[in-house]
Amino acid sequence: MLSRNFRLQKVGTIDWLQKNYDFSHIAFYIDELIVLDVSRAERDIAHFSDALKVLAKGCFAPIAAGGGVRTLSDARRLLRSGADKVVVNSVLFDDPQFVSTLAQEFGQQCVVGAIDIKQEVGGTYHVYTNNGSCQRHELVTQLLEQLPKKSVGELYLNSINQDGTGQGYDLGLLDLIPHQLNLPTILAGGAGHSQHLIDGLLDERVDAVATAHLFNFVGDGLKRARESIRVQNVDLANWTPLSELKSDLFIKGIAI
Amino acid sequence: MLARAQVVVVDYGMGNLWSVVSALNFLGADPLITCNPAEITNADAILLPGVGSFRLAMQTLANKNLDEAIKEAVQIKQRKILGICLGFQMLAESSTEDGMTAGLGFIPTPVERFSVQELERRKLPHIGFNRVRLPNLPSLFDGFKTEEDFYFVHSYRLLAQALPGKKAICNYGTDFLAAYEHENVFGVQFHPEKSQTNGLRLLANFLNA
Repeated sequence: MLSRNFRLQKVGTIDWLQKNYDFSHIAFYIDELIVLDVSRAERDIAHFSDALKVLAKGCFAPIAAGGGVRTLSDARRLLRSGADKVVVNSVLFDDPQFVSTLAQEFGQQCVVGAIDIKQEVGGTYHVYTNNGSCQRHELVTQLLEQLPKKSVGELYLNSINQDGTGQGYDLGLLDLIPHQLNLPTILAGGAGHSQHLIDGLLDERVDAVATAHLFNFVGDGLKRARESIRVQNVDLANWTPLSELKSDLFIKGIAI
Repeated sequence: MLARAQVVVVDYGMGNLWSVVSALNFLGADPLITCNPAEITNADAILLPGVGSFRLAMQTLANKNLDEAIKEAVQIKQRKILGICLGFQMLAESSTEDGMTAGLGFIPTPVERFSVQELERRKLPHIGFNRVRLPNLPSLFDGFKTEEDFYFVHSYRLLAQALPGKKAICNYGTDFLAAYEHENVFGVQFHPEKSQTNGLRLLANFLNA
């Protein structure tokens, strides 16, 4: 079983992830996994890619990974550790040429541009880079317009205000996207329960919704969330329930 | 059964090996990951993954003498092979990516880019889960309903017409070949290692075929 892999691998918080959230089970109810290294201390891509390998061993959906990716070698390492796509954040604005190079080397579909956005007290939005420590003063829409063509394959927009609150997404982020920027868009920051996911997916500007709030989806939570999303006529990908696959394969002599 | 069959995953430097191997491990297989031609010719089952350029991939296979090893295993020893994504495309006759490049020739059809007319304004690459229509036939397609979702990421495709084997079809503006089985040659345009339980079932079917 998958849990066997997690117990054998002593890779820091991966054990904790499995023990507390039964990640190997949850992994079967997502369309895609995003793994971000948000370390504030000195980043260690070797350590991160080892942790990624462990996660990837039990996740049979596409994986986007990133956090501190600044060189082709960083990206290649993640792509060899189970990632299908590389997530870039600060470097989108600090070194946009690098993002173009990433896209040229691995394909534009391999590059996810993650942007953290905060709504200030007066109501204006600003982009923050470097783990939320550095405010960009330009207009968000302007910054997005300046992204190099054919660099980013998907946009991942995260609301700093909503992140961690479980109070729902900030759909206002979507108004900041320049009209001509026609990229698949993932909305993040604030999801607490399935109605938030539905609200996000029902907005036509949203292609995917993300949550890091695993606690609210533990056990059968994600499975039920998928069902309630489908009931609202949102076309989600469908696959055999794990329990059903398990019994079908058992008959064929394969134990999973 | 699985334990006795020697499953080999061809490692020629292109493709998300980690995920393919993880899926096989999950199913109880213990694949040999290799670029050694002798180990490939002696395999009971071969998996050929692939991501990237067709031309570079075929050149790489040739440089390492893997193309001849694969041909010997598949055409002479009749061992089974599963091509995944670019690996599937490499089983075909040729591809027009970067100019005409010959493939391994196990599937008698060319690989070409989706045309503008076919796409009907859709963008490339074709990326994401999409619905595949599966034939009610053994063995790669055992246990599936008539329609199932799988994860795709590709800009080039094989077309189904005039091929002799069992075919699964997907539509992206036009119908294209999503999966194929003919005697000992198997191939999938989608990524079974990224298609959740549907992909795992398909891989198990290949291992058992």
